[in-house]
Amino acid sequence: MVLATALKQAGLAALVMNYAGMIGIIAVIVLVLVLVFKMERVKELNADLANLRRAFDDLDNQGKIILQTDLELHRAQEELDKKVSGLIALQELTRLISTTLDGEEIFLKIQEKHVSQIGFDKAIAFTRDADGYRLRTCIGYTWEEGEKVMNLLLGQPLLSRRILEEGRVFSSADEDRANKDVARLLALMALSSFVCAPIVQKDGTIGALLVGSESSFTQLTGGDKDLIYILATQIGQALENARLFEETWHAQQELEQKIQQRTHELSVALEEIKTVSKRKSDFISAVSHELRTPLTSIKGYASIVAAGKLGELPPEAKERIEKINKHSDNLTNLINNLLDISRIESGRVEMKMETIDLRAMVAEIGDMLAPPIKERGLTLALDLPEGLPPAVGDKNQIERVFINLVGNAMKFTPAGGRITVGAEDAGEHVKVSVSDSGIGIAEKDMSKIFDEFYRVDNEINAQVKGTGLGLSLVKYIVEAHKGKLTVASTVGKGTTFAFTLPKASAV
Amino acid sequence: MSTVIGVGFSEKKDPYVAGSEAAQTALYQIHHRKISLSFLFSTIHFSHEKLLEGISYVVGSPRLLGCSGANLIVSDGLRPYGVGVMFISSEKLRCGIAAATDWKTKGAGALGEEWAHAALKDLNEPERHQALIFPDGLIENGSELLRGVKNVLGKSFPVLGASSADNFRFVRTYQYFCDSILSNSLVGAVIGGGLSFGMGLRHGWKPLGKPHTITASVGNVVKTIDNKPAIAIYADYFGQPAGEIAQALIRISTNYPLGLYIPGEREYILRNALRVDDEGGLVCQGDAAAGTEVRLMMGTKSRALTAATEAATEAREALKNCAIRGALIFESISRSKLLGRLTGDEMSRIKDILGDVPLVGISTFGEQAPLKSLEYYGSAHFHNETLAILAIGEPYGPGHGA
Repeated sequence: MVLATALKQAGLAALVMNYAGMIGIIAVIVLVLVLVFKMERVKELNADLANLRRAFDDLDNQGKIILQTDLELHRAQEELDKKVSGLIALQELTRLISTTLDGEEIFLKIQEKHVSQIGFDKAIAFTRDADGYRLRTCIGYTWEEGEKVMNLLLGQPLLSRRILEEGRVFSSADEDRANKDVARLLALMALSSFVCAPIVQKDGTIGALLVGSESSFTQLTGGDKDLIYILATQIGQALENARLFEETWHAQQELEQKIQQRTHELSVALEEIKTVSKRKSDFISAVSHELRTPLTSIKGYASIVAAGKLGELPPEAKERIEKINKHSDNLTNLINNLLDISRIESGRVEMKMETIDLRAMVAEIGDMLAPPIKERGLTLALDLPEGLPPAVGDKNQIERVFINLVGNAMKFTPAGGRITVGAEDAGEHVKVSVSDSGIGIAEKDMSKIFDEFYRVDNEINAQVKGTGLGLSLVKYIVEAHKGKLTVASTVGKGTTFAFTLPKASAV
Repeated sequence: MSTVIGVGFSEKKDPYVAGSEAAQTALYQIHHRKISLSFLFSTIHFSHEKLLEGISYVVGSPRLLGCSGANLIVSDGLRPYGVGVMFISSEKLRCGIAAATDWKTKGAGALGEEWAHAALKDLNEPERHQALIFPDGLIENGSELLRGVKNVLGKSFPVLGASSADNFRFVRTYQYFCDSILSNSLVGAVIGGGLSFGMGLRHGWKPLGKPHTITASVGNVVKTIDNKPAIAIYADYFGQPAGEIAQALIRISTNYPLGLYIPGEREYILRNALRVDDEGGLVCQGDAAAGTEVRLMMGTKSRALTAATEAATEAREALKNCAIRGALIFESISRSKLLGRLTGDEMSRIKDILGDVPLVGISTFGEQAPLKSLEYYGSAHFHNETLAILAIGEPYGPGHGA
């Protein structure tokens, strides 16, 4: 019983053990399965994580590309902004310096704000004159410092050769930073970078413009060089314009001074001439009067004696007396002419202005002169159109003009020749002409024939005596009528004297 | 209207003439009223005693603060050459102004503390709302200076500021304080009274590439990133040897700064690297703690302009119940470079939001402004590459319908 119970219990226990083992096995199997599943999950997660990491790294790499691209764009943009700002400043500066023609003022126009606008901190400009190089503008330095910087540049062979001799732009960025000369120069100028451009004129380089930056973060570019070169060129051009203007101005001043001096001299001379002329007129007038009185007596007595009123004269005496009489007439005529000229010239003759019918006047004179004209074998033609407007003038004086001009024509026209008196309406004037087909006047004599006592040197004048006052008197009379006397002549073909008189309707 | 603000600008060559011309214009705009506080900004061309003498000639000896900048900001854009003046005339304005000098000897943190104590002493009133600081932009660790200021004024006290600049020369910047021109100094004001101030800060730069981690840093020096010398991040991304990168580091890092991820903030906080230390670490202008996620950042003109709108909106929204009387604009020199000729558009966007109010400012070497997230409790931090706006508002009177 006990055994059976024990066996039973043992069986039961074995059964329990079997069940437990089975459960354990199942549990292990389940755990293994779970583990396998989890491991798969971990594997999947690891794969996902790796994917994520890769994606993250890819994104980071893309970020790097974006940053590097953006850096390039940023630099380009910065360069562009700098150029635009520089161009705006350049445009303003160009406008300012081109509006002045004073060399000193050109440099005063360059101010600190312009230097800032083009992206720099300091600037100097210097030019050469007779005494050597001279500092003209100084920004960001004291004047003493500016002069030191100028002397540093001039004393540095590399710079002075490239800028002043070769006329090229120099940028400290072009040189290796290790270049000791440039590094020393930068330190002495208290700059971290600079550009220096030649100031050029037509005749070559006359100076330089230097702009510099204190900040070590300023990056010089090709655009900076171009900008400073343009600015320096503009300064050179403005200086050239100022110089030309100054030269022109000085020349003009000199000319004006000369003109003023000459005008003054001429005024003085004119006054002297007037004084002399007045003295001459007074003298002629006085002398003529003084001469005419005794001459009248001489002529009167000569006439009485010649007429035989004091008894018959022997033929030789009569001939001499007639010569005295004739020469007295000539002398009286000369004195009268001189007196007339003197009076007209001094304004002592008052013209009695009246309307003149020129056709009638010329016809009368034609009748009067017809006999001597005919006697000399000449023809007188009158060419005064009908409807010729009347002129205004002193009748007696105008008659003297005609008589003198026609008389002159008669004198110098050989037999068979022709004298023509014509007239025409010339606007506000009437133009009258006396032409002949005579011997004419040589070119060299044309300007002198109206001078008092001038007589053309020709055969006729050598034979016929004259005073040389006729044409002078004509000229004075015409000018006293505000008219103009002209002459045109061809040697061997003839001469035309023309004068104008005011038209009656225009007065 | 108890608060009137006037601005004047001049490009005259002579600092004395420029100062007096700008002051005359500003004085005319405030109708020759008494000046409560004045700001003076200029490019370094004008940093000369004569500039202050020119201003004194017009307005005597006003309470004056300011600094030199890489550019001057006026209402129609940036000027690389000029002087800008802002005069505030207000019965409601109370302020304590101070200057602390010689950070090189004292250290930036001590300088900040000294300045804050002096400003509070000058204010001599318990009520204070805003601090405005103009530190020397050559201070390498701007965060340390700010820590000194916050130690005195409080961790969450609103501070806005601009680090003076000298247009990438990195030689000498200038701070203006009353009738003195200083260098190596911090000037500024702690403002109390009844005026309100709205601050807006944005940059618009976006992260690029995968996140990295600062694995070691000491203050403002990022020693290693992902356990590699920090310079390697630039060398790797730009595909250039570390030596070449080091030569052009400032130029590259102003365009592509490091972005530190700040949980809860809308934007990364940016850091410009000034130089590389002997171990390849990046010396930044502000703190960068170990463990911080860092990424390389990239800016575009479009995003920078959008950021200007957002910054102005932020400043405007902070002054909901106020009439805006004027604004100070401080913009990183890097943004000016990025935007180029579009800075005029940026000013237009700001004016679209703030209205056609008197504006003046400078391009800076760094900005100080609070972070917004709750984690940082509005604590001010040093920033690079941002546009910081301080809008000055006057609360509407009780009868105002708004």
